[in-house]
Amino acid sequence: MKSYQYIIDYFENAPTIIQLVWVTIFIFFVAVLILTIQLKFLRSRLRKNEKTVAEYRKEYESDLITYLYAGNEEEEISAEQQIIIDKLRSCTSDDFKRRIIVSTLLRLRNDISGEMAEAIQKLYFQTRLISYALPRLKSKKWYIVAKGIKELKQFQVKEVHDEIVIHVNHHKREVRNESHLYLVSLFNFEGLKFLDDLQTSLSEWDQIQLLEVLQKFDDQEIPDINPWLKSENDSVVAFALKLAKIYNQFEVKDALIGLLSHHQKKIRVDAIHVLSHLHVVEAKDILKNNFDQLSEDEQIEFFKLLENLCETSDEPFLLAHTTHQNFEIKLSALKIIKTLAVEKFKSLKYFSTDADYVKIYEFLEYK
Amino acid sequence: MNTSTVQIILTIIHLLFFIYAFLAIASYVILAIISAIETKQYMKKNSFVNYKEILSSTISPSISIIAPAYNESLNIIENVRSLLSSHYVNYDVIIVNDGSKDDSLEKLIAAYDLVKVNFLINQQIHTKPIRAGVFKSTNPAFEKLTVVDKENGGKADALNMGLNISNNQYVACIDVDCLLLENALQKMVKPFLEVTEEKIIATGGVIRIANSCVIKNGKLLDVNFPKKWIEKAQILEYLRAFLLGRMAWSRLNGLLVISGAFGLFDKKIAIEVGGYDTNTVGEDMEIIVRMRRHMEEINQKYRVAYIPDPLCWTEAPDNYKTFISQRNRWTRGTIETLRKHRKIGFNPKYRSLGMLSYPYWLFFERLAPVIEVIGIVYFAILIALNEVRWDYAIAFIVLAYFFTVLFSVVAIFSEELTYHQYKKKGTGFKLLQISMLEPFVLHPFILYAAIRGNIDYYFNKKKKWGEMTRKGMAKSETN
Repeated sequence: MKSYQYIIDYFENAPTIIQLVWVTIFIFFVAVLILTIQLKFLRSRLRKNEKTVAEYRKEYESDLITYLYAGNEEEEISAEQQIIIDKLRSCTSDDFKRRIIVSTLLRLRNDISGEMAEAIQKLYFQTRLISYALPRLKSKKWYIVAKGIKELKQFQVKEVHDEIVIHVNHHKREVRNESHLYLVSLFNFEGLKFLDDLQTSLSEWDQIQLLEVLQKFDDQEIPDINPWLKSENDSVVAFALKLAKIYNQFEVKDALIGLLSHHQKKIRVDAIHVLSHLHVVEAKDILKNNFDQLSEDEQIEFFKLLENLCETSDEPFLLAHTTHQNFEIKLSALKIIKTLAVEKFKSLKYFSTDADYVKIYEFLEYK
Repeated sequence: MNTSTVQIILTIIHLLFFIYAFLAIASYVILAIISAIETKQYMKKNSFVNYKEILSSTISPSISIIAPAYNESLNIIENVRSLLSSHYVNYDVIIVNDGSKDDSLEKLIAAYDLVKVNFLINQQIHTKPIRAGVFKSTNPAFEKLTVVDKENGGKADALNMGLNISNNQYVACIDVDCLLLENALQKMVKPFLEVTEEKIIATGGVIRIANSCVIKNGKLLDVNFPKKWIEKAQILEYLRAFLLGRMAWSRLNGLLVISGAFGLFDKKIAIEVGGYDTNTVGEDMEIIVRMRRHMEEINQKYRVAYIPDPLCWTEAPDNYKTFISQRNRWTRGTIETLRKHRKIGFNPKYRSLGMLSYPYWLFFERLAPVIEVIGIVYFAILIALNEVRWDYAIAFIVLAYFFTVLFSVVAIFSEELTYHQYKKKGTGFKLLQISMLEPFVLHPFILYAAIRGNIDYYFNKKKKWGEMTRKGMAKSETN
């Protein structure tokens, strides 16, 4: 009691700064204590959650499998199926359980195909899970909207097209991206129409995702990509170039040639790359005549094009560039000469004393 | 000098110490808050990402993993196997055997059916010459592997050789003994592909400590909490640094360092700036500062990104000798880099790099140990002169201690809320225990190593890298 009184007296008589420091220490101490207790609960909760999720998942998986095999041809929904629908429906009002049901449905649907997959889809409606996903599209929180779109995409709910298409230019990248993926996943190449109105940039990551989705479809009827190659949105042009390459769109060669004078270097380089891939011979002379005005990246890409499209008449041009300052161009030029005319290549052994030239020559000589 | 003048000088010194400590604490708190906000955002955004799609895409960008190896014979086979087990589709692995004196090369040749090949190298960065040659595997299962055997030139030189050899757009520079998770590359490459308004020049990842974890065939099977205090304390230190520090610097676009253990770079820019500096022991920090400086000078918008996911696991020193040697090197690396790029410091031309990142590193990383030692010496003098106001001293020491503990506990909390890697029962208590003890079992050694680093930098210029004896992660045991 005496020492307690001593501490009180000490604190009351201490300078203000010391009082302040001890108050801060006390606050820190209490904070550490609270966090320690919370940590204990948090860790226990996380462990418990993992266990509970696994249990529920097992239970729902078993229910879903029973549902899939309980159908008969006489009734649309058998009595056994109805019991499972009712059970799952009663669980959907609980956020935690609903999340597990949705993820279990998706997991199962990804593992199966055909009628079974359709049955899972149907169950999504029968359990009224859709009624939880739809209001999300109107949420003010971007991640809820994005989650809603993602779920509707995964369960292929085509009916909400009009509500989703309004998000293609959403200010949050994730929402935009989910809406683009929704459109392409459900409407295939038709879904790409959103590119006509796209005002925001489509990142490389977004483009790869879209192309991956498109490549899953058997029906490969490609729409006219000319308007996208002429788009004012550079990212749309970049994406259209990828489409042109992957789907061998030779018919858009004029638009591709037009892109050789695009204001963005990356587009010009990509255009040369696609022209090379499509073996558009007309591009060669245009680029050759304009070679000195090209940036180094374009020049390198042009030499790659020449590796595909070179002719004997290109020999003087190639010869002139065997001593180019760029290593890759030098390598390309010598490589093409070797392919075109081996004797000519042999005669070039001592053409230059430049260290890189000698190294490249020796490399090609023994290749 | 009369008594009042001395008194004024002493008061100014006290005030400067106080201001410094206050600013350091304030900066930690601010960084922690920004980190928390940023991590939350990251977790939210990341929940929409489907990494599987980029994984299988043939148009995903190409990456070379460059791993320098010096006398790594003990684990080289398992380590290379781990690097070859990435799920990313478009990548290759370049092992640069940096003049090893052991049988690393022979082991690699035998294990991966390697044969010497005629390989054209575009020597864009000067390096030590090739020794035995460039090797590729005759086994199609290892077609992604290239082994280069060169004369010893140090880690930076070996990485530069990798940059010369790589034909890919991005390079992941890593320590050969690091264990990369299978989805590490796609997570690291994502920022390069998703940012459209500015150029991503490099991405850094979190480094986690693998001591005591169970690893088999290059795969992390079980995460364990080690038994040694030094290892436990380093785990806590890494959690604090990566979860409460770097995430904030990433948000502020102020990252000055990407761990040498694992970083992904835009190869073109790395080569443009001349690759790694072979004259520093802090080449990982130096190249980032040089790349950033380059981007500022050409006036191009850029960013150094950071991924908080635990993607790379590495062996940390398990004894104080190795630990001190490592931290000594880190200190010298920091001094060398800040000195080399002193033009940046407080230079508004370099915007946040010059006005925020550089000053922070100078005051709170470079000078912190020096100021701390000055403080300790000054305190000792005051004790000797019987001039200590013990009520003040005790109060401030207790305050500093509780702040450190609180900060560590927040880091543990943040880890639990995000990645929850240490799941086993009882580990939470161990983490809390080490957060109480870390100021005694680790901090004094960090301080000692930093001071040794300063002394070595100024008085022992010949000192380069210290040796780290590898125990080998493959042999890590279960707790």
